Amino acid sequence: MSPDALIGFAQASGMLTLATTCIGVFVGLVVGMIPGMTISTGIIVVLPVTFVLSADISIALLLGLYVGGMTGGSFSAVLLNIPGTPSASATAMDGYPMASRGEAGRALGIAISASFVGGLFSFLCLFFIAPLLAMVALEFRTEDMFSLVFFGLTIICSFAARSLVKGLLSAALGLALVTIGQDPVMGTARFTFGQANLMAGVHFLTAMIGLFAVPQLVENLMSTETASRTQAKLKSVLPSLSDLKAMRLPVFIGSVTGAFLGILPGAGGPIAAFISYDYTRRASKTPEQFGKGSVEGVAAPESANNAVTGGALIPMMTLGIPGDPVTAILIGALMVHGLAPGPLLFMERGDFAYGIIFSFFWANIFNFIIAILGVRLLVKLLATPRALLMPMVAVLCVIGSYALRNNFFDVYVMLFFGFVGLAMRWLGMPVVPMLLALVLGAQLEEHLRVALIASRGSVAIFFTSPISLTFLGLSVLSIIWTLRSNRIKNANTSKETTS
Amino acid sequence: MRRQNIIAAVVLIVLALVYGTLTAQLPVRTLPNTPDPSFFPWINTVVILLLSLWLLVRGLRQPTQPATANDNRDRRRLAAWALGSFALYLALMPTLGFILATLPFFAAMMMFYGERRPVWIGGGTICATFALYVLFRHGFGVFLPRGLLAGIVA
Repeated sequence: MSPDALIGFAQASGMLTLATTCIGVFVGLVVGMIPGMTISTGIIVVLPVTFVLSADISIALLLGLYVGGMTGGSFSAVLLNIPGTPSASATAMDGYPMASRGEAGRALGIAISASFVGGLFSFLCLFFIAPLLAMVALEFRTEDMFSLVFFGLTIICSFAARSLVKGLLSAALGLALVTIGQDPVMGTARFTFGQANLMAGVHFLTAMIGLFAVPQLVENLMSTETASRTQAKLKSVLPSLSDLKAMRLPVFIGSVTGAFLGILPGAGGPIAAFISYDYTRRASKTPEQFGKGSVEGVAAPESANNAVTGGALIPMMTLGIPGDPVTAILIGALMVHGLAPGPLLFMERGDFAYGIIFSFFWANIFNFIIAILGVRLLVKLLATPRALLMPMVAVLCVIGSYALRNNFFDVYVMLFFGFVGLAMRWLGMPVVPMLLALVLGAQLEEHLRVALIASRGSVAIFFTSPISLTFLGLSVLSIIWTLRSNRIKNANTSKETTS
Repeated sequence: MRRQNIIAAVVLIVLALVYGTLTAQLPVRTLPNTPDPSFFPWINTVVILLLSLWLLVRGLRQPTQPATANDNRDRRRLAAWALGSFALYLALMPTLGFILATLPFFAAMMMFYGERRPVWIGGGTICATFALYVLFRHGFGVFLPRGLLAGIVA
């Protein structure tokens, strides 16, 4: 191991960091399993705390929450047939039938163990791939970085939206919002309307709190869904030897699929879970058992959605490109502490970068231990009344946006984005592309303008660099692919309607 | 979705036009071979306009769907009340302070989310408000406003 890796391991293994990771995992498991709460909401809840903690401890807390949240989602999916997070939707298909026949403990044990293996696999990918990718990314010039960020945005739009045009519009609006404040090249004030508070622009964490939390508070209020509070009787949680044998192939498929799809910006846990479920069913000797409580049907999606976490950290840490809203928030949390994720993070703060990687490792270990040992307590927490939880989230949103700069202006910005989020939800526009555009927008503009200055105003620079050209080609391909798949989907829907 | 698409497109076209007008008013910097501060906003304006027009055309080409019965009116009203309370809470907090503003807001939110037991509402509100205040003000050093209670609470 390199000296940076050793220092990183020591940092991540400090008592305080380990304790924070544990707390993060516990909070993640709780928010992940409560229907109506997402991992993003959980992160919003702990966000104000991260502003006052040191960078390594903050990241350990958030990573713990990320990993715990992915596993927590499977608890309510198995016990209530209501996925706690979108990533656990595929788990419900076999987890709930298994619980219905009195094997809730077995289903949870399989889910927890598969999550553990998937998480560890993605840790290995992160540990070995991230530093190499960072080395490659160091060779990128400004025009390559522009094309990379552009590619990241297009692929996110195509994955995040049922309608490509709405996804692109959401991202374009985010890019327009990024132009508020001083411009990144010349420092000219733009769209500030004489407000000193707007000179620094819209902080994307404030926007994120509004975009995610306020619509969720309203959605929970509108929801008529009442979760069954029947407590399942949990006998043994640890999977038996025969279950472990049956899990080998699905966990392998899930881990590989999850880690790979995690690296792609925007693909995320739900897609990885469903794809690995489908692959496993095709590879299975007993495909007819799927949907009726199959061990493989629980193991594959669970290993996949946890493998996504490590995969998503790879582009975040090496290229500064977030794979999903959670990694976008992690970027924001790092920026608050004056650290910019990207290839230079490994060069300038290698110890810190490895600290993140090892905190992720510990998060997976604690996730397994806490989930297995605390399963009975966690199941009881499923009955936490929404009437107490949601007002708490609302107040924490206010504290979170206020604590960022001890400024009430940010709280009003959060409320504004809350209304924007509600309007977008009503109009069927996804908020994720807007959030990611808020994260990536400043970089996109800066790289574009700096590249044009370097080329004396010639756009040919983006097409003469092979790396840039590759990313631009991939961007076009991702848009064409989305348009094509949307057309096929629409054709199928209209066929079904006619028949 | 037809109605939503048309509304979204029209709103965004108006927004793009306003954004474009504001962009036109940005100061001009005449450095050789250097894109202006208005360079990127102009690209955004054009992109938003084109995409909005695409959405408008798509919306107009979609078949009109029959109106569905609205059985969610009460819940919508409740959501509107909750959002109104949230806005009022934020407006009053700088004057009243965190504790005095949060107490009634928290209680109201508990009721909106279906809690009817007065003891639970009272207990939950007081415990949560003070716990959050102490944790963030004294535990994490976030300067939550004291408002009217300045000098009374630490």
